[in-house]
Amino acid sequence: MNKTIFVVALSIAGFVAVWRFDPTPATSSTTATSAPQVSTAPSTSAGSGAVTTQGSAESTEFGTVQVQVSFSGSRITDVTLVQQPDSGRGVDAIPLLREEALQAQSADIDTVSGATQTSESYIKSLQAALDAKGS
Amino acid sequence: MATHVEQVMGLPVSLDLRDEGDFTGAVADAFRWLREVDARFSPFRSGSEVCRYDRGETTELSADLDEVLGLCAYYEDLSGGAFSARLPGRGLDPCAVVKGWAVQRAADRLHAAGARRFCLNAGGDVVTAGEPEPGRPWRVGIRHPEQPEAVCAVVASRDGAVATSAAYERGTHVLDGRTGLPATGLLSVTVVAEDLTHADALATAAFALGADGIAWAAEQPGCDVLIVDAQRRVHRSPGLALACPECPQCTR
Repeated sequence: MNKTIFVVALSIAGFVAVWRFDPTPATSSTTATSAPQVSTAPSTSAGSGAVTTQGSAESTEFGTVQVQVSFSGSRITDVTLVQQPDSGRGVDAIPLLREEALQAQSADIDTVSGATQTSESYIKSLQAALDAKGS
Repeated sequence: MATHVEQVMGLPVSLDLRDEGDFTGAVADAFRWLREVDARFSPFRSGSEVCRYDRGETTELSADLDEVLGLCAYYEDLSGGAFSARLPGRGLDPCAVVKGWAVQRAADRLHAAGARRFCLNAGGDVVTAGEPEPGRPWRVGIRHPEQPEAVCAVVASRDGAVATSAAYERGTHVLDGRTGLPATGLLSVTVVAEDLTHADALATAAFALGADGIAWAAEQPGCDVLIVDAQRRVHRSPGLALACPECPQCTR
């Protein structure tokens, strides 16, 4: 558990470094469409096996970067940006990490929302597997 | 308890109904309604009500077509013309409104017949009612825009609707009504709202708006959004009810 958090913390530090390294000039900063809250100090909250760790807010020349990582046991369940800059080369990385984190656990759902499916793609889809399984 | 999958309106439509009792008649009625909508509102069937109205062969509007055209006008106005049922050089095509509206009506019929715990999924647009099991919401995976086997978030829903618009299934089929060109500014738009008519129309309109659709959708009352932009950044409303994939009872 602690080891996982340490590894994630290292990753976060890596992303911040990528932002700092970005050679392209950016004029705007801050704003986060997805920011549920803003806090400046690192914090951890725990409850019923789930742990949320918030990284410290790092100021870069492109804006403030802060991530929040949720764990259940030793597994990452979610990674979100609490604060993010508008632009910069590193902004792709965190949403991708978040998606990877959820990929292996996709079976634990009741249904799938996606773009309008044709029958051909339905046959190959996760939704077809869920329907075949029944309730 | 019943599960049912059927191809209607060119879509695989599946129903997962968890209520105790016999809902055979109600389920048949809901699917009959969807087949009726296909016959009456398809712009691809020359004998449909929509095509006959568009050719001027009938001037008397049915209450349903009147409602659909009213919804088209409402969302076209709301989106500044990005969402349009009348694109230049094309016939009347209310599809973008009809699907969500028709599926919500099907769900309303099930509800009127006494069903309280079900999930109706029409080609990726979802209406949920109640809870699949006591104490936990329906867990709706949002398909990853680039990986068909993966989900990029899990939304918790009880009585509500989840709609997603994107170009990954049928190519760039959503056109921006302002320019007539395919919308390419976003990878996917998911809208969670009280009913599917609203959720589906907002998702389509936001997708048509492209990058402008992020702020536009976030400002619409009565909905929450999860949008993946062309740079793969995830934008989501603070109020969006996400479920933790690890714990079945959990809605953070």
